[in-house]
Amino acid sequence: MRSTRLGALWGILPFFIFCLAFEIVPIIVLIKESFFGAGGPTLANYRGLGQKVYISAFWNSIRLSAITALIGTVLGTFVGYSIYRTRSRRVRSLFEAFSNVTTNFAGAPLAFAFIIVLGANGVVTILLQRLFGLNLYPGFQIYSYAGLVVAYVYFQLPLMVLLVIPSFSGLSPEWREAAVSMGASTFQYWRYIGLPLLAPSMVAGMVLLFANAYGAYATAYTLIGSRLVLVTTQIAFVVTGEVLHDPELAKAMATISLLIMGVCIAVYRAAISRARGWNG
Amino acid sequence: MNERNPAKPVFLVLFALYMIVPILATYLFSIATRWDRSLLPEGYTLEWYAQTFQHPYFLITLGNSFVLATYTVAANLLLVVPAAYLAYTRLPEAKLPIDVLTILPFGIPRVILALALVTLYTVPVINRSPFLLVCACTVFSMPYMYRPVANSLEAIDLRTLNDAAMIQGANARQILFHIIGPNIINGVVSGCLLVFSAIFAEYTLARLITGARFKTLPMLLVEFTRRDGRVASSISVIAFTVALLLSLLIIALAQINQRRSEKPAAVIEKRT
Repeated sequence: MRSTRLGALWGILPFFIFCLAFEIVPIIVLIKESFFGAGGPTLANYRGLGQKVYISAFWNSIRLSAITALIGTVLGTFVGYSIYRTRSRRVRSLFEAFSNVTTNFAGAPLAFAFIIVLGANGVVTILLQRLFGLNLYPGFQIYSYAGLVVAYVYFQLPLMVLLVIPSFSGLSPEWREAAVSMGASTFQYWRYIGLPLLAPSMVAGMVLLFANAYGAYATAYTLIGSRLVLVTTQIAFVVTGEVLHDPELAKAMATISLLIMGVCIAVYRAAISRARGWNG
Repeated sequence: MNERNPAKPVFLVLFALYMIVPILATYLFSIATRWDRSLLPEGYTLEWYAQTFQHPYFLITLGNSFVLATYTVAANLLLVVPAAYLAYTRLPEAKLPIDVLTILPFGIPRVILALALVTLYTVPVINRSPFLLVCACTVFSMPYMYRPVANSLEAIDLRTLNDAAMIQGANARQILFHIIGPNIINGVVSGCLLVFSAIFAEYTLARLITGARFKTLPMLLVEFTRRDGRVASSISVIAFTVALLLSLLIIALAQINQRRSEKPAAVIEKRT
């Protein structure tokens, strides 16, 4: 028995060595170097982030992620509930497959599709103009913050739909019947029973969407390039050497971002275990 | 569907429209002669596809994306699948660290992974090499391989299967290839397809790690979105069609898996 366990360890070892070399050590070195300057240990890199451009990078990234996570969560819950309520297994698996396929449509192809649809000469832009006399431009621009929100919601929404559908099975129909028989209105049912039960799953979904948007790069880069500063685009500029930021500052930005991701994962785990506690 | 609340189908229709219109528009744009001043395209042509295929970089970048995705799948098969299999069959203590290591990449934004790798590996041979890119893609895609494989290992009663096979005199190799293998092959194939489609569409890591040295198809696409939208739309259609076919395959496989796991007794019965 001992020898087979030892043999198993040898089989797993390459995986561990690979993870150490290309996952753990690089991240640890990155974090360590963010606290070092030419003259030894320092917090100068973090102080350097006080400059206006870095403050607005964090502000833009956090705001964009929070807004699209919120929109994605609210709309995704409605859509997910509508799919769940049809009670038809076929409709449900069709929409689940549909959400699965569309989550793949992200990054550069997505950004480009929105330029075709909502650009100055886009299909929907022209459609709204001809049919309803509604002029999107110049109030709205696809190459802008608002355009970015529309494009991000596109990949956030189906993700939330997929995340939220299973949690509706936790809402027993009996509870609704009990509430109704005691004279509760639909609003009261949702306010006091439905939503509090769904809340942990929705919070879990929302932080996942937040992290998803925060780390996104390709969509933002294709759509707005350097017109709007985001944390990911600023770090990427340092890696490609296009804009001469101080590379040490990028490491400090990355470290703070990893901290934000860590908080997201912690909240996610707490919310998920609460949701499980209620459903189990 | 739901008489009490007629608003619900409206939600579904709006959702479906929002999700479909950008995709349909890209497909239509790629075969339109001109479509920037009218409701429908002014005419239809395959000219942009012809231009795409004639572009010297198209086949190169398409090939690079295929090679990158294939190598990443191979690396996952060599590293993740044996680790998962051994952890589930012989070394349960390893499950937790493997779980953590394969979930961690979800918490590391790709720009940060790229920055970390480029910072650490400054040795000329490795720095910004396709090799480093494959390693980065492997780290990023490990969860896509590990999850389905772990799920299928979880679904079967490994110990019973193992004991039953051993009692009947099967050796380790026979157990692996004739007993365990057929039961987890669906998970492995799903994992391969998920990894392949994720890396085939991967832009961030390739652009940041190798850049112009090893251009992938999504990089060519981004270049064209700034130069020629019509060629960009045809590249976009080609890339999305590949992803679409792969995800339909994955969904079909997942449904087969589900049907199987609903009656696991029958599967085991058939094999013993």
